[in-house]
Amino acid sequence: MRLLERESDIQALNSCLERISAGEGRVVLVYGEAGIGKTALLRQFAAGQRAAKGLPARVLWGGCEALFTPHPLAPLYDIARQIGGEFPAALETATKREALFNITIDRLARLPAPAILIFEDVHWADEATLDLIKFLGRRLQGLGLMLVTSYRDDEVGPRHPLRSVIGDLPSRSVHRLHLAPLSEQAVATLAEEMGRSAKELHAVTGGNPFFVTEVLAGSQNNVPQTVRDAVIARMARLSEDALAIANLAALVPGRMERELLDRLAPGAGTAVQDCLAVGMVALEDGSLAFRHELARRAVEEHLPLPQRQALHARILAALLERADVPTARLVHHADLAGDSPAVLRFAPLAAERAAALRSHREAAAHYATALRHAGSLPDEARAELNERLSYECYLTDQIQDAIKAREAALALRRTSGNRLKEGDNARWLSRLSWFWGNKADAERYASEAVEILSALVPGRELAMAYSNRAQLGMLEDNVEAALSWGRKAIDLATTLGDQEILSHALNNVGTARMQADQSGLPDVERALKLALDGGFEEHAARAYTNLATSTVRKYDLARANRYLAEGIAYCEAHDLASWVRYMKPFRAVAHLLEGTWDKAAEDAEAVIRHPSIAPVSKITALIVLGLVRARRGDPDVETPLDEARALALPTGELQRLAPVVVARAEAAWLRGNLAERLEEVRPAYELAGKGSHSWVKGELALWLWRCGERIDELDELAKPFALQIAGNWRAAAAAWQALGCPYEQASALADGDEEKALRRALEILERLGAGPMAGMVRRKLRASGARGIARGPHGQTRQNPQGLTNREMKVLALLTEGCRNADIARRLFVSEKTVDHHVSAILAKLAVRSRGEAAAMANRLGLCAAKQQGDR
Amino acid sequence: MPRYVVEREFPDGLNVPVNADGAKAMAGVIDVNLSDGVTWIHTYVSTDNNRRTYCVYDAPNPEAIRRVGAKNNLPVGKITEVRVLDPYFYRP
Repeated sequence: MRLLERESDIQALNSCLERISAGEGRVVLVYGEAGIGKTALLRQFAAGQRAAKGLPARVLWGGCEALFTPHPLAPLYDIARQIGGEFPAALETATKREALFNITIDRLARLPAPAILIFEDVHWADEATLDLIKFLGRRLQGLGLMLVTSYRDDEVGPRHPLRSVIGDLPSRSVHRLHLAPLSEQAVATLAEEMGRSAKELHAVTGGNPFFVTEVLAGSQNNVPQTVRDAVIARMARLSEDALAIANLAALVPGRMERELLDRLAPGAGTAVQDCLAVGMVALEDGSLAFRHELARRAVEEHLPLPQRQALHARILAALLERADVPTARLVHHADLAGDSPAVLRFAPLAAERAAALRSHREAAAHYATALRHAGSLPDEARAELNERLSYECYLTDQIQDAIKAREAALALRRTSGNRLKEGDNARWLSRLSWFWGNKADAERYASEAVEILSALVPGRELAMAYSNRAQLGMLEDNVEAALSWGRKAIDLATTLGDQEILSHALNNVGTARMQADQSGLPDVERALKLALDGGFEEHAARAYTNLATSTVRKYDLARANRYLAEGIAYCEAHDLASWVRYMKPFRAVAHLLEGTWDKAAEDAEAVIRHPSIAPVSKITALIVLGLVRARRGDPDVETPLDEARALALPTGELQRLAPVVVARAEAAWLRGNLAERLEEVRPAYELAGKGSHSWVKGELALWLWRCGERIDELDELAKPFALQIAGNWRAAAAAWQALGCPYEQASALADGDEEKALRRALEILERLGAGPMAGMVRRKLRASGARGIARGPHGQTRQNPQGLTNREMKVLALLTEGCRNADIARRLFVSEKTVDHHVSAILAKLAVRSRGEAAAMANRLGLCAAKQQGDR
Repeated sequence: MPRYVVEREFPDGLNVPVNADGAKAMAGVIDVNLSDGVTWIHTYVSTDNNRRTYCVYDAPNPEAIRRVGAKNNLPVGKITEVRVLDPYFYRP
């Protein structure tokens, strides 16, 4: 049947392909409900390539199958077979996933450009395939590759892992193609071509092309009410033998290979022909498949359960006679055949294979399948399956499931008297409970673990239990607890020669000490080095994160920027996406402090938009967005700051609460009603307590002071804050300038009453685009009788030795790019005459004779580097 | 999507000629806006030599307006989120 109403979609695909030929990267998302015609559209597009004149683009297909737990990277293996040569063998030998991805991208880069890579049905994709899509999607530029993925959007809920992949693709290169149902007119046209009545057809099918086709292919006159009825009605025409084959094929997701078909139904030539007549298809390599997954599912579900189980058993037996079948496939049929011994034999193997390729979600699913069949296993074996399940769940952010499996494991180890494993499970439960925001359980399990394990021969488990307690201490700013437990962990790890636990413990101790002073830095640096040398990726990520966040909190921007750059690059290279999303908001804070607010907002927005963002990461991003808006005088400051507060309150941690309180106070101050925030600032200041946190305390104290409160403990505050509160605005401003924080510098200058300092503040604030505070400073200046203070920022002369105005700088920048006056006029929306005036003024101020000389001088003086800041 | 009024200052006066050049300039602005999901509804231009403009926009957030402003070489002043009040909606 021909394709109707898809011309514009084909056109969109073709224009994407043109962009590829022009050197850009493109990821096309083709989506719509099941049966809407995604495959049909892509086949037509592919056929168009083959028919194209000149060099046709090569099309490579990879499909994801509806296995209960998918086989990792199945689409990549499909594509490898199509490319051929040494590629498939090279993939098989790669054991590490990075290596495998790199081999893939190298091979794809050698394909003649443009090439089209299609991943079908990615709503069923395993985690490794999704990561591959993300990996490729970010490296398409210059590869000459068009990446197309298709999926059923109605099966991709907001928490589906595919959402996260789409969120991580570079938004500029993503093109979305939503396939709409057929119109009433198109359905009527199709019916007419088949000589059938279109009555009710559109209403019942909703314009779903697959449904329409099935109905029109059936023989009855009335319209069946569901797709399933339509499919079953067609199947009713099959002979006994043919039906037996169709039933077998319905239990093999994807397709039934020729070899399997021959084993299960030898000499079934005619019966196969019958099947083709009712809409199944024979593929080029001799395998048999349903024309559509919807039809396969309809037939599968129509089979009575006992018959289904018996058929799965036959398929499993046939697959076992071959050597090259992926274990995930064996597990699928063993599970559905109800064959527990086979499940217990293959599911753990499939899980290990999946975990090795970092398809942790699939690994977890395989362990869960094994546990459903594990009723007769001894306690110790069941405990081990639960422990493995819990670990895979932990890696995939399924914390609740991870806790449940750990609890089961703990109980089983206790009954069987395995104290070592019991203690280790308790330590795990402590960590998991913290992740789940349950501090009480985290504490309880942490002490239980130490108590159980101290009674045994000291080993790794005890060292980790100590380090876990140190970590909890660090997280709740209990430096003393972090240090005492941390030392025990370090000593034991050193005795055992265990570098991984040593790195973990040094990280906790160092980070805790950094809260008080700079002395913890070498410890965390050492933790980082141990983790990098040993290849302990999670520990390295945590060390980078702690180094970056601790230095940002201390306004140590030079160090912070280095850790952020290295840490984000490391985590991106190692697919540690949630760590990237935790660090990026801190990069946004660094940008905010440096006065590069566009970048700050961009980092914050990217994180906030992400569908699977953890609350702790989101809090920081929301704060930055709220502050950028407040400082610019832009609308909607309260939405992000209210949400940040709602997320921070339940954590009860100072490190989350203080920044929210400080931001909300600042926003209220700029609005002119700081007083209403006093009741938020005071308890946070008290929570900060004595001793450590001189920076956090300083931030909070500044707002209490602005509220008119008396601050006595100036020696407990970081220096710039103490100076500012003590009324020494000049020294405070100098300190802020030395730290590279212009807004804070201006805010200290604005506390003064000297005209020169206020003018300097105004200049900084106008350059930053800080409308509200600039307004405050202007009012102060006018009130003190200063002259020539404009009401707005226009007409200001920029701080450059040549005395060029903002407008002249802009004209000069365009002139340097080689623009003619007419171009400049068009780009700046002014008349050519105005441009003439500006150019004359520029020539005079720069004391040059020609535009060429002016451009040369601008380049030499680096004047145009500042052009981005432009007007505000 | 929220609606905003964006105030802009053109010390030299805004100049968009009603000819092919002007049309090209406007089309360019509209294209750039599209990349950030911003729609320019229309603009009120002050009659004092076109020095100030009040532009009505639909945009996902204020950051998007500032971003396309920079890309389009347009100054961005105060941004205010607004909604419509229709005096003829009120009946006795």
